[in-house]
Amino acid sequence: MACGSTKLWNGEATWFCCGNAWGPCAAAGGGACGTCRSSALQAAWPNASQACWDITRPDLCGEDIPRRGCGSVLKVRHDCSGASVCVTVSDCGPRTRSFCSESVCCDGVCRTNRVIDLTPAAFSAIGSLSSGTLPVSIFE
Amino acid sequence: MSAYRTGAPLDRRRFLTAAALRGATVIGTAAAGPGLLSAGVPSAGVVGATALGAVDADAAFAAPIRPLDPAVAESAFAEGRITGIAGDVLQVAGSSGDHARVRVTGATSVWKARATTAAEIETGDGLYARGVPLPDGTLAADAVWVNIVNLHATIRGIEKTRLRLAHGPHEIVGNVMAETTSASYGGAAPTADLSRLTIGQSAQVLGAWRPSDGSVDLVRVVVAPAAGSRR
Repeated sequence: MACGSTKLWNGEATWFCCGNAWGPCAAAGGGACGTCRSSALQAAWPNASQACWDITRPDLCGEDIPRRGCGSVLKVRHDCSGASVCVTVSDCGPRTRSFCSESVCCDGVCRTNRVIDLTPAAFSAIGSLSSGTLPVSIFE
Repeated sequence: MSAYRTGAPLDRRRFLTAAALRGATVIGTAAAGPGLLSAGVPSAGVVGATALGAVDADAAFAAPIRPLDPAVAESAFAEGRITGIAGDVLQVAGSSGDHARVRVTGATSVWKARATTAAEIETGDGLYARGVPLPDGTLAADAVWVNIVNLHATIRGIEKTRLRLAHGPHEIVGNVMAETTSASYGGAAPTADLSRLTIGQSAQVLGAWRPSDGSVDLVRVVVAPAAGSRR
C-alpha cells in the first residue's frame, strides 16, 4: 500500500512487542487486529476502534486523534534524523492517557503525548530501541 | 580505511558491509571457533571500530541505516532466541519458526542492559537485530539489542532491590541495578532516585530480560506525571 505524505499527527512514538515472541512478550498475542508481529513493520494506533479509544483515551491528554482502523498505512518520521518507516495499523495502543504531558525532545524539537506504538522492527528502522521513545510526525 | 572516507562522517552502513564482507574487523575468527563471543574474550573488532568512531553507542544505535543504493530498499531486521554462536555469527531461532544468522562485526553496536560488547552475548539470549542482508544469507548487524524489553506495567510491590510488576495477567520481578536503574517522573530527566515510585502506578519499564529466571533488570522506569500536572 502507498505510504502517504499528508500530515496526520505528531507526538511520541514508543515500541511494544506482539505476536509470537520471547521473554515477557511471549504472551503478547496478535493484538487487536489479530495480525501483529514484532518482526513486521506494524504499529498500534490509539483510535483503531471505539473499543480501543475507550482504553487509550488520548482525548484526556488533549489529543483528538482520528480513527484509523486495522490495515491503515501510516508513515512515521523521526523528527530529528528524518528517517521514516511505513507501518500498518495492527493493534490498539499506546495507552496515551497513562502518560499525559510526557514529552521527548531532540535537537530542540519536542513532541508531547504518546500517539503511536511501533513494533521493534518498525521502531528500530528509525531509532534505537534503548531510547524507548522518539519524537515523530505521522503522515498518511 | 581511506577508501571508505568521503569527507562526510564515515558511512556506517558502508563500513558495516565492508567489514562483514572483507572480514577485516569482524569479531572473532573461524579459527577461534564457537563460543568466542560468550567467553568474555576482549574484542579486537570493537577496539578497531572504536578507533573509527563507530561505537559511539547512543549515536550508533539511533542512526538509521540508509540504503547504499536504490536497489537496497530497506534495512533488514531479525528477532528471536540465540541458539548458537559460531565465531562472529549468531544463530537465531525466530519466534515464528523462522531462522536467521546474524553476523556481528566490528561496527555492530551491542546493547545488553547498557551499551556493551559482543562478548556479553550468550546462547539463550533474546535478540532484536537491525542490519544489512548479505549475499551469503546472513544479516550483517548494525545494531543488536539483547534481551531488551519495553513493557507497560503496573507497580505492585516495592522492595529495596526489586520491584514487583504486573504485566497483563503476569507478574514480573524487576531487579534494581545499582548505578544503572533510573526513574523518570512525568517526563522529567531520569534520576537514580526511585523513592517516588508508588504502588499502583502505571509504568513503562525498559530493561533486560534474564532468560535464567524470567526477571527483568530494570534500566529505566517511566511513570506518568502527577495528576495535577496534566492538562
